[in-house]
Amino acid sequence: MTAEELRETIARQFGRSLHIRTLDTGSCAVCEQEIRLLAAPHYDLQRLGFFFTPAPRHADLLLVTGPMIRAFEVAARKTYDAMPGPKVVVATGACALGGVYPADPFTHGTVDAVLPVDVWIPGCPPSPLALLQGLGVAVGRLAEKVRDLPFTVDDDPERTRGDS
Amino acid sequence: MTLWFIRGLRRGVVTTRYPARPDASARFLPTPPAFRSRALTRETAGRLAAICPSGALRLEDRTLVYDVGRCTACGRCAAEAPAAVRSSGEFELAAAARSELIKKIPIRGDLR
Amino acid sequence: MTTVEPRVVPGAVTTFQVASPDLEAVAHDLADLRLADMFASNGDQTTLRLVWANDTLGEAGYVITETPIENGEYPALSDIAPAAFVEECEIYEQFGIRPASGKPLNRIMLPPHADLPTLGRKPRSEPEEQHAPHLVGGQAFEFPFGPVRQVGVESLYYGLVTSGEEVVDLYLFTWHKHRGLEWRLQGMTPHDALFLAERAEGLSAVAMTWALAAAAEAAAGIQPAKGAQRTRAVAAELERLYNHAAAMAALCQSTGLSVGQSAAEIALERLLRLNARAFGHRYLFGVIDVGGASRAPDADAIREDLPAAYGEFRRAADALLGTNSFVDRLEATGILTAGQARGLGLVGPVARAAGLTADTRLVPGGPYGEQTTVATATAGDVLARFTVMLAEAAESVRLIGQFLDAGTAAGAVEMPGTGGTGLGWAESSRGEALAWIALGDDGRITRARLRPASARNWRGFDDACRSQNVFTDIPIIEASFWLTVAGMAR
Repeated sequence: MTAEELRETIARQFGRSLHIRTLDTGSCAVCEQEIRLLAAPHYDLQRLGFFFTPAPRHADLLLVTGPMIRAFEVAARKTYDAMPGPKVVVATGACALGGVYPADPFTHGTVDAVLPVDVWIPGCPPSPLALLQGLGVAVGRLAEKVRDLPFTVDDDPERTRGDS
Repeated sequence: MTLWFIRGLRRGVVTTRYPARPDASARFLPTPPAFRSRALTRETAGRLAAICPSGALRLEDRTLVYDVGRCTACGRCAAEAPAAVRSSGEFELAAAARSELIKKIPIRGDLR
Repeated sequence: MTTVEPRVVPGAVTTFQVASPDLEAVAHDLADLRLADMFASNGDQTTLRLVWANDTLGEAGYVITETPIENGEYPALSDIAPAAFVEECEIYEQFGIRPASGKPLNRIMLPPHADLPTLGRKPRSEPEEQHAPHLVGGQAFEFPFGPVRQVGVESLYYGLVTSGEEVVDLYLFTWHKHRGLEWRLQGMTPHDALFLAERAEGLSAVAMTWALAAAAEAAAGIQPAKGAQRTRAVAAELERLYNHAAAMAALCQSTGLSVGQSAAEIALERLLRLNARAFGHRYLFGVIDVGGASRAPDADAIREDLPAAYGEFRRAADALLGTNSFVDRLEATGILTAGQARGLGLVGPVARAAGLTADTRLVPGGPYGEQTTVATATAGDVLARFTVMLAEAAESVRLIGQFLDAGTAAGAVEMPGTGGTGLGWAESSRGEALAWIALGDDGRITRARLRPASARNWRGFDDACRSQNVFTDIPIIEASFWLTVAGMAR
């Protein structure tokens, strides 16, 4: 399957009905709280056709938090391998993206050191809104924004002053 | 059970319309910084790279290499150099390629 | 012989040098105090430190005994303070020193088959896997559970032993989440260390960073300004509020009461949005700084939003207490007696619901006054823990108003950058969070000890799950403890 075909398959199969399995590879527990709130009344992910499932066999998307602690690697691979294809892996939070722990004897430092990640969601923690946007991007329902954001501020000569 | 049902009806719907409509609560979320190139000197960029606890900032020649993926929006860079750093206000940051989160910020503060 | 008898000075930390042969006698003398923590550190030789707490209201304070260890052995303290067994195992893994009794020690923090850096000399032989023998009449069925568990909860491995429905034994392995934080903190400045300490147990970010900052301040002999201290207290009370709302939601989920869960989650979400308005972060990261606070709260925002958010919380709680099917599931479930809580050195609502009165907010010298009401109960079951949390939430709202009226500010007293040691503490929503720090002459950390409340209270979980509970009660009991795996594993 080419990348284009895979994208189309994912959009067609998961776009309106997606089953999500979460995976904690060593988080501080806050990312998990934000993920739990996706099912809460303020966010209600089910209205978008997204559902949580405890069984990897039924899951389409693996939502991964934490810096991939080495002692957890076997459990992470088993969970991923238990999911039938096509499947999507989303790494969420600064820990998962390498922003909190470097690669060292305890942790790999990033999720993509062990699992093939498809979508990365920054944040510490990513809020439920950011998670919803990330899930939408992962199933091709929402366009990415960050690719075209420069993260520079237009200079205003009147307001530019020296550093304090 | 009736009491729960009535209470729920009375409170009304709290569910967000996001992503179909923007959500007002997003205004208060912490967001990664954006940089003002003309206020950024090499010296300032070096200081910012040193204090970032996530290693999200790196000085490379005339560029501040900024990994949005590593950023935790802790605010230390904004506190260190308020003229050069401002909150971006962006929370929709999901990327389908890791490289899309690496931004090259030109350093123009040393130019005369 | 020890010439000075260790005594607690209210509001203070007094440190005593105790020679190794005298340690057992001293531990007997201090047995009416709570053994709050035990850890070792390396220097010219390995030093064993015990932190004892006097919880008596009005006299609360700490005593630390320091004992240099020779020949790799020290008296078996778990015979005097049974709760010390967990720390004895941890110290053996990290420093290779063991109690003289020769009792086999369990694997506690470090994963098997891994050659990880330790804080001291590695032990000569691997710890064993020793669990309590199963005393049960019929057949017992043992099955491992985890570390990948239900959706949206942390990874945790536990071994569950049941006889029919009854829980015979429950043992936990948290080493899948061991990030080696205490090892990582070595060489950092206290300011940089706060970034990681926040993430030791993110749901207690305020309490853990407060404790570590206070330890560094004690080592340097500085005190934050009163306004900054009140900022810390406001953040700590907001943290207590949202955690208790989250625990309420988890209790509803564990009993299958979806409407209650939704009501509690609405309150939780409103409290988190309040945190974002007040301090710029839903989980209050980045508030505490060494020497004070890095940001002051938006007092107007809190005064505006807190009444409505707490109103949601209170309405959900009242409706739950009026729902008999819910209350029935909580009553007489997961009972911990006062004796068990005391013997295990438990802290927080778990201990207070069993009748103990310890609350670190009442240690003199902090921003909390003597009028802070400590909520207690006697039944020691899940319902008692729930009612204690509800009473604490009401008190938190009152305290926040009081601190805002007295005035909050940002700002930090500068650290002199010299050496020293210090103990710090804060009352997290789960109980006493402790931190101890040793700074070198360059002001950098040579040893940092992080002890979130979860590291103390998980040892009460298996006792609470036994005593005639069925294994469907386990999630209910877990919700009533509201601990984290991250706080235990660090």
